Amino acid sequence: MATAESASAIQRNQVDLLDFIDWSGVECLNQSSGHLLANALKQGYREDEGLNLESDADEQLLIYIPFTQVVKLHSIVVKGSEEEGPKTVKLFTNRQHMGFSNVNDFPPSDTVVLSPDNLKGKPVVVKYVKFQNVRSLTIFIEDNQSGSEITKVQKIALYGSTVETTDMKGLKKIEEH
Amino acid sequence: MVLEATMICVDNSEWMRNGDYSPSRFQVQADAVSLVCGAKTQSNPENTVGILTMAGKGVRVLATPTSDLGKILSCMHGLEMGGEMNLAAGILIAQLALKHRQNKNQQQRIIVFAGSPIKHEKKALEIIGKKLKKNSVALDIVDFGEEEDGKPEKLEALLASVNNNDASHIVHVPPSQNALSDVLISTPVFTGDGEGGSGFAATTAAAAAGGVSDFDFGVDPNIDPELALALRVSMEEERARQEAAAKKAAEEASSQEKGEDAQPQSDSQNATSTATEKVSDPMDEDDLLKEALALSMNIPGSDSSAGDAQMSEASNDDQELALALQMSMQDGSKESSAPSDVSKVLGDQSFMSSIISSLPGVDPNDPNVKNLLASLPGQSESQQKKDEDEKPKDEK
Repeated sequence: MATAESASAIQRNQVDLLDFIDWSGVECLNQSSGHLLANALKQGYREDEGLNLESDADEQLLIYIPFTQVVKLHSIVVKGSEEEGPKTVKLFTNRQHMGFSNVNDFPPSDTVVLSPDNLKGKPVVVKYVKFQNVRSLTIFIEDNQSGSEITKVQKIALYGSTVETTDMKGLKKIEEH
Repeated sequence: MVLEATMICVDNSEWMRNGDYSPSRFQVQADAVSLVCGAKTQSNPENTVGILTMAGKGVRVLATPTSDLGKILSCMHGLEMGGEMNLAAGILIAQLALKHRQNKNQQQRIIVFAGSPIKHEKKALEIIGKKLKKNSVALDIVDFGEEEDGKPEKLEALLASVNNNDASHIVHVPPSQNALSDVLISTPVFTGDGEGGSGFAATTAAAAAGGVSDFDFGVDPNIDPELALALRVSMEEERARQEAAAKKAAEEASSQEKGEDAQPQSDSQNATSTATEKVSDPMDEDDLLKEALALSMNIPGSDSSAGDAQMSEASNDDQELALALQMSMQDGSKESSAPSDVSKVLGDQSFMSSIISSLPGVDPNDPNVKNLLASLPGQSESQQKKDEDEKPKDEK
């Protein structure tokens, strides 16, 4: 039931929020230099199974994604390999410049434990209430499936809908008569 | 012009009293610190710098990251030396200070002056390094002062664990006459990965080179940097021009030598060496060779217009010389079209053979001469014809 709901929800009015990501502010801490966040987020790269986002010094990753406008987040898809894919993922909304030291300072908006099904592409529905007014999303990948030193993420996709917001760039000056 | 927040970790331990760097280790460190602060703030006005001391009673933050240069410099004034340096605590507190910087868009960097022995283990330092890398903090290490067994290795290990895409650097400065700041100016610590601070570094280098209170060209780079820069650039251009002129004179001198030397071997050697030198300077090659020929033929005042005729009178009996000239001509003709006239002349089969037959002591039927003529560009057909003509002659 739940799966049918989520599948139909995606068809209903949920869009891929890729278009609303503010790329200039996207940050990722502890990513390995050859395997960047773009490999998991960007159109085209994320479909390529050979291109992964990999962690560097240890297995945790901290990803900050700001949006160009306010969005409602419905579900996320995190794809990865069975051993090195992420396991525990914590989501924080509207918090800027988080670091590894303060991820545990406040409670996450939602915590997701990924199953092997999820890693194959099954979306995870997030808590509706907490994600109605999202300006930015911080994804904290705490550990991976097998506990190895490096976490590899093949794809991250966000699904949701937009809230009516004024696009400041679209505002034009009214001609004086 | 990277937007950066920097924390400088100063070593004010007892080891800094030592005078192996003049006037004392602490003084040179203070100079270096003020230079680094200046470089950072100049390369980007929004950069901030903070200072903390690692020794004394404990790690103490003297200034949190600020863009106020005066405040930073005054902190260095009146610092007391004592105690032991605590590197690990110093770096961790520096990282904390950077975490709470006001402008979160700034890149984080820590500069450590490690002048005394390090009491931490390599493992502990590596863990700290990994933590810095995880939080994308870059680290610059200045290894000076006390030289202890294993200190460079420990610091290198720390650097390796922090380093991400060459953002972090280490500089080892042994005791010497040069001041610590002079050595640091040329390193990436100042130049900031090759950009940005180099302008400041260049001005301070000029200032340092001119003496303590004296500035190059009598212009204070701090007061009028543009003028100082313009003067320096014109000075360098003048120097380059003089060097080029001197080089040309030297080449002429060597080609004079070549002309006067009677021995064919050394001649050809000189010719080939000058030829190889001149490969990089094709335009002057011709002129110089012509002058050399003229000199060897004791004809005064040769110039390029008369050069053709002189060149083709491949004067001496020296076949090796002609061959060497040939080679240099061929090298020249590859690179520019200027010597093409001369090579055409040389390449003109009938002309060359008539010239050579007119030379005393050169027998056109001599195999050496034939080889020489054969090596002329694009002459193989007529050469073969000539051979056939001459063969029946000989057989007669």
